Amino acid sequence: MQHPDEGTIHSWLDGALSADEATRVETHVKECPQCAVTVAEARGFIAASSRILTALDNAPRGVIPAATPKKRVDPLVWRVAATVLVVAAGTLVVARNRGSNEQPADRVMVSRQQASVAARVPAAGGPAAVAVDQAMPKAVVGNASTIALSGKTGTSDSRFGIPARENNALEKRAMMPAGQAAAASEIAGAAAPTASTFAPSHVAGVVVTDSASEPEPLKLVGTPWRIGAKVTLYEVAPGDTVTLTESMPLALEQVVTGISSTSTAMQATSKSAAVPLKARVDTAAITSAADSQRAASAPPSAPAVSAPAPKSLPGMANTLHTVTWTDAVTGNALTLTGRMPKARLQEIKIRIERERAAAAAKKTP
Amino acid sequence: MTDVERLFRTYNVALVRYLTRRLGDRDWAEEVAQETFVRALRQTSIQNERAWLFAVATNLVRDEARKDMRRRKHLALLAEEERDEIVEPEETTLERAQEAAMARKAVDGLAERDRLALLMREEGLDYNEIAEALQLSPGSVGTTLSRARRRLVESYEALQKSQEEREKNAAS
Repeated sequence: MQHPDEGTIHSWLDGALSADEATRVETHVKECPQCAVTVAEARGFIAASSRILTALDNAPRGVIPAATPKKRVDPLVWRVAATVLVVAAGTLVVARNRGSNEQPADRVMVSRQQASVAARVPAAGGPAAVAVDQAMPKAVVGNASTIALSGKTGTSDSRFGIPARENNALEKRAMMPAGQAAAASEIAGAAAPTASTFAPSHVAGVVVTDSASEPEPLKLVGTPWRIGAKVTLYEVAPGDTVTLTESMPLALEQVVTGISSTSTAMQATSKSAAVPLKARVDTAAITSAADSQRAASAPPSAPAVSAPAPKSLPGMANTLHTVTWTDAVTGNALTLTGRMPKARLQEIKIRIERERAAAAAKKTP
Repeated sequence: MTDVERLFRTYNVALVRYLTRRLGDRDWAEEVAQETFVRALRQTSIQNERAWLFAVATNLVRDEARKDMRRRKHLALLAEEERDEIVEPEETTLERAQEAAMARKAVDGLAERDRLALLMREEGLDYNEIAEALQLSPGSVGTTLSRARRRLVESYEALQKSQEEREKNAAS
């Protein structure tokens, strides 16, 4: 038999020859060293081309940027966040004690009590207690949302004058963040239904209660729901209303007690577990800080868990101002509207932005 | 399960891989594969399913490539810009990207028929199916494949060599 050509050898190696032909080639190759070399070479080409083609399988997905995989939050982040929470609460109590000489003594007491609640509450919360003490992610998530969102406390209504209707509303909503917090912790790989379920019932609404203790309580006027957007209305002082509208692609049930960014923080949470606790704490701070920018006792840079609550100023600007921006991370359009100086709205907006950017920075390495 | 569902479940993975290797774009590959199955839906009967699907997909690519060449080029440029902005964090990723780029170049350097025959063979099509899909005589498939493999490997190795030399020059 004359030497089979390269094509025939490949056909033989690919099993494409008839039985007769295959036998003939096989017999020849055994006897012919030259063809044996060709066969060895062909085997090499077959294997190598397969390998080369495999390298093509990680092809890019066109022009649509691939979604960045959700990253699990380093437990250290939560530890730090928990520490920030406790330290901030403590710092504020001290700051307020120093700077609130004009405040009634009982309110200082309240603050102190609340701060201690913030630090101690977990102890009453069973699993949550251990969790916060050890700065475990799950408890932090649960508590953070609670602190930011819950207004649920038996004493707060009568003592601080939250109208029963509002408190009910707050209470009802306070349960939702717990669910969302649970969802968040699930994303983080550490679901803690217990922690987040306990939290609302045990944590006396630190922020809301605090605001409510002021003569001008932060009044939830309404949260008209709209598909594709979140609208939150607040009366921070008589005739002083702030509205936050967030156009969002996800129709999440939002729970908002803060002027604005509680909702943004929650949304960020739903997108990624990477929202640092600090964001939530500051978010909560915005709730009251927004109404107390002028309150000297609250250092503006401090993550105020419970900044002094609003006081309506006689000379407050009464024109409606709007601040609109697009969230760089989610792409949602955010609109903050309120009858207050634009500068004040800007302040609120900047804080929201900063927190969102921080959250985003932690999300992407 | 309908016939198209069965076809999809049986051949989609191989078809998308074939098209991805052919096109270098997974989204595009998936689009073409879907369109191929849609075409299959309109057929009353298909003799050799695999050969038919690969042939239709190949033709769709050819048609679309002709039609959308300019648009694709533009989008590819955009994609390139996008990719440039992405920082490759790991060296392994970079190495793999380099390998993929060289493989792409080597595959693109093949004659169309050689390339398609090789890619189809890699998806398990036998010589008769390849001949049917590409309208070749079954006897020439072996020659086509042997040529395609040799050229692919030789061109890849040449690219690898020049890459190594570039790296050596850069290091010294």
